[in-house]
Amino acid sequence: QTTSVAFGNMQQDTSLPVEVTSQELSVDQETGIAIFTGDVVIVQGEMRLAAPRVMVVYSEDQRRIQRLEATGGATLVSGEDAAEAERADYDIDTGLVVMTNDVLVTRGLNVMTSDYMTVDLTTGSAQMHGRVKTILQPQE
Amino acid sequence: MSRRDRYYPRLIAWLRILLPLLALGLLSTLFLLSRNIDPSRTIPFVTDEMENRVIDQQVTGPFFSGATAEGDLISFIATTARPDPEQADRLLARDLTAHIDFLSGSAMDFSAKQGVVNDRRQEAELIGDAVITTSAGYRMTTEKLTTALDRIEAETAGPVTGTGPPGRIDAGKMQIDSDPETGNAHLLFTNGVKLIYDPAN
Repeated sequence: QTTSVAFGNMQQDTSLPVEVTSQELSVDQETGIAIFTGDVVIVQGEMRLAAPRVMVVYSEDQRRIQRLEATGGATLVSGEDAAEAERADYDIDTGLVVMTNDVLVTRGLNVMTSDYMTVDLTTGSAQMHGRVKTILQPQE
Repeated sequence: MSRRDRYYPRLIAWLRILLPLLALGLLSTLFLLSRNIDPSRTIPFVTDEMENRVIDQQVTGPFFSGATAEGDLISFIATTARPDPEQADRLLARDLTAHIDFLSGSAMDFSAKQGVVNDRRQEAELIGDAVITTSAGYRMTTEKLTTALDRIEAETAGPVTGTGPPGRIDAGKMQIDSDPETGNAHLLFTNGVKLIYDPAN
């Protein structure tokens, strides 16, 4: 089932410059595929996506980045909300981040887990799909 | 015989002597009296350039090329090149450019103001505003780039900055090598990489 949840506190402007920092970047001259490795951090406005490995996927005309595929344990932070998953695909043009494989979202003291989550940074909302479990911490 | 007849044979006799002498005189003006043209003075050339050209054996427009084991073609061109006075197996080149044509069709160019080509180590150093451009759309500049002459292997001495399809890239170092399995050339940026991609443009 799907549960929609607020994620990130504001509307993210997807036309902001995206800054990617890492230890290494390897670019294959034939295929044009670029792979960042070594604590890669993607920052755009309030959004911060960190992962050990990020692959850049281009649009057909090779002039725009269509998607950043973060694998090996990605952590997405937006505002004071954070989400972790084995993999996160960030489509820059649409502002959608798709997180897959044991997603874990912490919002304040509450923790929610699910198989699969899509975060829409432009509206600050997220849908969690699959087995969604919520662990509410009693407020002392 | 009439008086005229007697003169005639004598006239011929004198003519037979005078005419050859006259011919000889004319002929001699061609060789003996003519202005002698000094061949070395007629061809103008600058003497001092001859001296330093001979001393440092400078070559203009040197060009050499080769192929790697995988079949990629590498060619080096410079405006001038001359042996390094201190070290015999080194060539000092000006405006050295290297062009690599990969078997797969893509290409890569290195260029710099100065170049040092080391035969023994089969490598060349490109120094001074070294620029690396690739057919994939990357254009990186660095201070110094060392590249092998006979295989695809190059690395920058220090930081490199420039642009490529993903955007503006800055890195602490860049290496270029070919992937053993695919044979494709790889740009490997290391020592910290920063990319800025601006979706707006």
